[in-house]
Amino acid sequence: MAGESWYGWLLVAGASLVVFFTRAAFILPGSRLRLPPTAERILRYAPAAALMAIIAPDVATAHGALAISLDNPRLIGGLVAFAIAAATRSVTLTIVGGMAALTLVRLFLT
Amino acid sequence: MPMLREGLLAATSLLLGMIPFGIVAGVAMVSAGLTQAQAVAMGVLVFAGSAQLAVVPLFIAKAPLWVMYATALVVNLRYLIYSAVLAPYFGHLPRTWRALLSYITVDGMFALFVGRFAVDEHKRHRHWYYFGGSLLLWLGWQISSWVGIFVGALIPKSWSLEFASTVSLIAILMPLFYDRAVVAGALAAGGVALLAARWPLNLGLLAAVAVGVAAGLAVSRFAPPARKA
Repeated sequence: MAGESWYGWLLVAGASLVVFFTRAAFILPGSRLRLPPTAERILRYAPAAALMAIIAPDVATAHGALAISLDNPRLIGGLVAFAIAAATRSVTLTIVGGMAALTLVRLFLT
Repeated sequence: MPMLREGLLAATSLLLGMIPFGIVAGVAMVSAGLTQAQAVAMGVLVFAGSAQLAVVPLFIAKAPLWVMYATALVVNLRYLIYSAVLAPYFGHLPRTWRALLSYITVDGMFALFVGRFAVDEHKRHRHWYYFGGSLLLWLGWQISSWVGIFVGALIPKSWSLEFASTVSLIAILMPLFYDRAVVAGALAAGGVALLAARWPLNLGLLAAVAVGVAAGLAVSRFAPPARKA
């Protein structure tokens, strides 16, 4: 763990700079520039695409290979979470339901 | 300061929704292998739930640093929009204030503020409203993260609690699905990410975002977005 600690610190340092940049880009220089509509659209689509691009492999692959089966706890947990989020929009229920499904599959099917 | 108080009171409505994210972010960060000090620093310095949660699966997979930086950037691109909208509100303030208000910006307070004040309406102390509400949310985020960091360190690794970050990303993603173009873009990105899961350096992630944005733009061209939110 100690040997990797620079990796964690560099993550914290870089991510904080990058995130501060997105917040300060217009406020700090006091810019009155308006974003063109296409740019605004790209800025809207990219985050949803990135979130899905992180979620999908984390849920549906194992060791780089597709893992679409009932005994993949992450797949079931993820699907249950999607269903609860779509039905209720409740953050707490989504987290609790997804984690409960993951745990049940992990304990009883694997 | 009546403005500071008004902002604080307005933000209490957002506090409850933020607490589960803070706890999960704390738990997930330490379960992923960040030290408690790193996790606390991340909450204070990055102070962005979606970015903090999004880098967790990448950190576990030992992704290169630049991939994690790029991910934090893309997930937070919405802040560029907020920044552009807020700039004229805060343009008259000194630099230190503008830096502070930038750092403390979060989705909910942005929405409350822009809904409460018009740009050309010259209320001199409106930044105190923004600061008061944001400060409350900042404190709520830090404290709920610390609870998660403390609890996360006590729970055995075998519980796979780091998966809570992925589940929270699902909860963050769902409200973004307000029009067909966003959904199409996300589905395309998810498909590419699966197909490219074996690509080196997580290049699949970047390819997925590029394809997802292209798909979103294509759909918005043929089926104009129906604005709801």
